[in-house]
Amino acid sequence: MKNEIGKLYIELGEEYNFFAPIKEKGNLVFKKILNPDDIILDYFNSKVPPKEILFPKTEVLFEYKTDGKEVTEIIERKDLEEKNIIFGIRPCDAHAFVLMENFFAFGDYQDEIFLKKRENSIIIGVGCNNPKSTCFCTSVEGHPFQKDDMDIFLVDLGEKYLVEAISEKGKNLMNKMPWLKNATKKDVQKAAELSKQAEESIVTKLDLKDIEKVLDPNFDHPIWREVSEICIGCGTCSFLCPTCTCFDVIDDNDQYNNRGRRIRIWDTCQFCLYSLHTSGHNPRDSCIERCRNRILHKFCYYPENYNTLGCVGCGRCIQLCPVNNDLRSIIEKIKKIDIKKEEKISA
Amino acid sequence: MPNPYIPILTSVKNIVSENEVNDIKTLELVFKKEEDYKGFNYIPGQFAEISLIGKGECPIGIASSPTEEGSIKFTIKKMGTVTTGFHNCDLGDIVGVRGPLGNGWPIEEMKGKNIVIIGGGFAFSTLRSLVIYLLDKRYRKNYKDITVIYGNRDSGEVLYRDILEEWEKRDDIKVVLTIDREEEGWTREVGFVAAIVKKVAPSPNNAMAVVCGPPIMIRTAVAELVNLGWKDEQILNSLEMRMKCGIGKCGRCNIGNKFVCIDGPVFSLAELKKLPNEY
Repeated sequence: MKNEIGKLYIELGEEYNFFAPIKEKGNLVFKKILNPDDIILDYFNSKVPPKEILFPKTEVLFEYKTDGKEVTEIIERKDLEEKNIIFGIRPCDAHAFVLMENFFAFGDYQDEIFLKKRENSIIIGVGCNNPKSTCFCTSVEGHPFQKDDMDIFLVDLGEKYLVEAISEKGKNLMNKMPWLKNATKKDVQKAAELSKQAEESIVTKLDLKDIEKVLDPNFDHPIWREVSEICIGCGTCSFLCPTCTCFDVIDDNDQYNNRGRRIRIWDTCQFCLYSLHTSGHNPRDSCIERCRNRILHKFCYYPENYNTLGCVGCGRCIQLCPVNNDLRSIIEKIKKIDIKKEEKISA
Repeated sequence: MPNPYIPILTSVKNIVSENEVNDIKTLELVFKKEEDYKGFNYIPGQFAEISLIGKGECPIGIASSPTEEGSIKFTIKKMGTVTTGFHNCDLGDIVGVRGPLGNGWPIEEMKGKNIVIIGGGFAFSTLRSLVIYLLDKRYRKNYKDITVIYGNRDSGEVLYRDILEEWEKRDDIKVVLTIDREEEGWTREVGFVAAIVKKVAPSPNNAMAVVCGPPIMIRTAVAELVNLGWKDEQILNSLEMRMKCGIGKCGRCNIGNKFVCIDGPVFSLAELKKLPNEY
């Protein structure tokens, strides 16, 4: 159906917000498209993860009107019922949506804003034929052709896609694509070969089994000073992480028009202000604590609380870190702590 | 399921300046809608995200007790944009409230026990709530001896003076007030809270202690309790942390794998010792 993306958009563009990869200022981004010709089909992945489709950098929690002094009306979001198609994302980013969904639904309070949008979205993902050297999805329970987290899964066979409906949602949507032809045995075989090739091309192999059991007792280990030494605290790793969901809340008040919005904005534990108390005390007042928190959150607190790793192995934090503070080598160093400790115990 | 970020609207019914330098005020709020008040079921030690819509929101412990019916109270120190906004409030101004949030003091677990309440400075608001609750005639019989030790830098900083004097007159609660240095006209104790804890020497037998205050006071007072034979499980603290959402989603109030907003703010010393020292 590679040539028929336009058809798909014409068929569905009225009913759905159609998000797909396009080029913007030289960068690949996932945006709501207005013209199917803009869709890029030959790409690796976006710098900014597609999480921003359902969890934008700034997002309205509610709007309000005032009489000049006091609030007179609180206006809830009405766009949460809109239906979305998210086309072209990779398996790692699709898995990140699952982690986000679990997190926002966890516990006594549900983040209705994210969850409604997630519920009303259909994910059409594409297998990752050419993983980069920074990719390590196979080390975090993922795979370049992992299809479970999508509604429809595509394999790029070159001139066409192999299309497979995964969920009920996906099956229903496929009924709206009468132009699809039956796949041949050869197509399926080729897809299996591509999957195998992609898996084999991933060079990074991290052993993350029971990593939380190494991290938990080593909270005060000197390793954290070592791994944070070169960090400049820019926050790129977490802003561009598809599973990071921290946010700040502020009021964007428009006093001249007697209205305003309470909004949330992406925030990161890599910033000093993130955890600074009003009293001036800061529990994470240096790069050491802040670097440690990012690693522990993904590889210790996440497994402890939700029984899964908080990392999908997309490699963005490695690729885009301005000082090359490589998550893979941090993990390797941490793994070594344990060996040394065991030596000590046996000695 | 409702949007959890939408505040309930209340209005300011009363404002009380609590200290001599006038940087701590208690705001009494009444709900605009009766059903909102009925739905606001809280216990002492919980907090709420309160906001001046247009200025912002902040987490503040609930200073009133659920037994004080009809309104809720928050004691607020003037620190930043939002709290200054609260200090500039007039009667009738609209305040947004999201809550009640957090776990609160374990009032069920405290039943049948002697209760020792140790507070320092401004951190007395949720202790006020607790003591008023414990003293309520419906609940007083559920608890044994109640001792309150409350310390301040000077007499001008003592919060809730009227209510403290009422408690001092009662025979079913022991109230020990202290200030750091001697002052003319001050007839009660003088000395740091830890020293007074040592002097009062509350027994750990069948008892629970609640300790709230600045970090140094907590450390020294807890050390005295431990000297007196108290166990970590018997000592409760309420933690403060920077928060935005109050419902475990914005991320920043974590200590290890716990969020202060939903897993706390009340933790026993035994629970705190299991967490990384990052608070």
